[in-house]
Amino acid sequence: MQITNMLATIDDYAKTQPDMAVYNVLGDTHTYADLKRDSDGLAAYVDSLGLPEKSLVMVFGGQEYEMLATFVGLSKSGHAYAPVDVNSANERLTNILTIGEPKLVIAIDPLPIDITSVPVVTLDQVHEAFASKADYEMTHAVAGDDNYYIIFTSGTTGLPKGVQISHNNLLSYTNWMLNTDDFDVPTQPQMLAQPPYSFDLSVMYWAPTLAMGGTLYALPKHVTENFKELFAALPELPIQVWTSTPSFADMAMLSEDFNAEKMPTIKYFYFDGEELTVSTAAKLHERFPEARIVNAYGPTEATVALSAVAITPAMIEKAERLPIGFPKPDSPTFVMDEDGNKLPAGEQGEIIVSGPAVSKGYLNNPEKTAAAFFELDGQPAYHTGDLGYFDEDGMLHYGGRLDFQIKFNGYRIELEEVSHILNLSQYVESAVAVPRYNDQHKVQNLLAYVVVKPGVREQFEKDLQLTKAIKEDLQNDMMPYMMPSRFMYREDLPITPNGKINIKALIAEVNNR
Amino acid sequence: MDVKTEVLGMINDLFLEDVSDMMDEDLFDAGVLDSMGTVELVLEIEAKFNIKVPVSEMGRDDWNTANKIIEGIKELQNA
Repeated sequence: MQITNMLATIDDYAKTQPDMAVYNVLGDTHTYADLKRDSDGLAAYVDSLGLPEKSLVMVFGGQEYEMLATFVGLSKSGHAYAPVDVNSANERLTNILTIGEPKLVIAIDPLPIDITSVPVVTLDQVHEAFASKADYEMTHAVAGDDNYYIIFTSGTTGLPKGVQISHNNLLSYTNWMLNTDDFDVPTQPQMLAQPPYSFDLSVMYWAPTLAMGGTLYALPKHVTENFKELFAALPELPIQVWTSTPSFADMAMLSEDFNAEKMPTIKYFYFDGEELTVSTAAKLHERFPEARIVNAYGPTEATVALSAVAITPAMIEKAERLPIGFPKPDSPTFVMDEDGNKLPAGEQGEIIVSGPAVSKGYLNNPEKTAAAFFELDGQPAYHTGDLGYFDEDGMLHYGGRLDFQIKFNGYRIELEEVSHILNLSQYVESAVAVPRYNDQHKVQNLLAYVVVKPGVREQFEKDLQLTKAIKEDLQNDMMPYMMPSRFMYREDLPITPNGKINIKALIAEVNNR
Repeated sequence: MDVKTEVLGMINDLFLEDVSDMMDEDLFDAGVLDSMGTVELVLEIEAKFNIKVPVSEMGRDDWNTANKIIEGIKELQNA
């Protein structure tokens, strides 16, 4: 199946299967007819506000149905949206407001800060708009190269970068997913909707589900963060497809009941967002011997994923780092050396992706865009910053990062950004963040190496209290997922010849312990 | 080695934190444990003591201090 327009496709299901559920939050369901009525109402309301055409709207919230209906409504009224998760640090909200210059904020959950620079639409107003039963005609919907959504990622200077994903980018990704044998997406898929909308792994569940007329089963954060609630909720979900980070599957597997016998409907696992380790794949295969385990790879800048492969028992038995799959047919992907020469199979270099899924660049950031995006053989191309190589079969294998970007519990984190924020604390003289890896190449802890200001250490009875004070000091600036778990206090930090903190030396020290 | 020594060693190994002088402190509040850290700790405990930790019955206030973890393991060993 090929789709040519995401919005028209979704609206069609309101005609062909109006009573089919599109969204289910712990038993509270909404149908395709609801989604059409609500998104039409919201689109009409947003049109009435007289915002500049195609301007960006920030949407703040969690896994509520209103998030999805608002996204669809905004797309219908021609606006790109930037999803911001309810657990964001205040600093992230203000940064996104400054960088993205949205012309409207829609707060599905109450905002943690006062926003006065742009109009704010509250949940009550969203509900009113839904109920307006507007007869909406799509005349200026998001199309072609228009931005569909903006995902803000971690940046090196403490400022996030807004990756612009167009409707064309989204179509390239969605159509690949629907047509590649590796995913084998079922018709009317019943999918788990757990990863937050601010994380583009969410596109891996909502895009194919809406394109194929299926149902999303949302897991609110308060459920995923409480084992008791989580393990009560999971067996109740009649899902076929589980999409998450491998870390979240590891969590689910803590329960013995997470297996094919207790959850017989699950036939597919789609993984992206961090490395799928052999041990996670092996355990999962044991629990769900019949299920398809798909390992996908790709940066946000190339729309969710650029390669995927169904993991076979043979790959698991080999017990080597799992492959990250075959690149999308429409997206020529290469391994290149530092001088931009394409390397033959077997040689490691930087993974370069080109083609119709590559973003037009970072919003309002020409400098960072020019540094990462370029043209290759007449197509837009992107430096992933990831190392890898192709094997003789054309399968891509991952080999780590070129820079100081890490993946931690699925989140993409620039170590420089964490270091930058650590240095904002009143107690800190200088500090860097250092990842500690386990034997599966996965980041186990994020550590902070800190030199405190003179006299600070004496103010606290124990170092743990100092750590608590620094964390409290930074809680408005640091995203919770970026906060180092362990603080190591030092008199000084190793320095490189150019006078910078030698982060490589610290990474080596931490990981040879 | 006794359960206490093993558990303290495990926490030290996984989270680089010596919690021997804060046995009754909430490890989540102290920033030692989070939900992903709990996954790793539970897996270690299950492997080391050859027990099955009943995670589906674990609320936020169970297994949140070193002493509660040690007591929990002992109970499961005697079950």
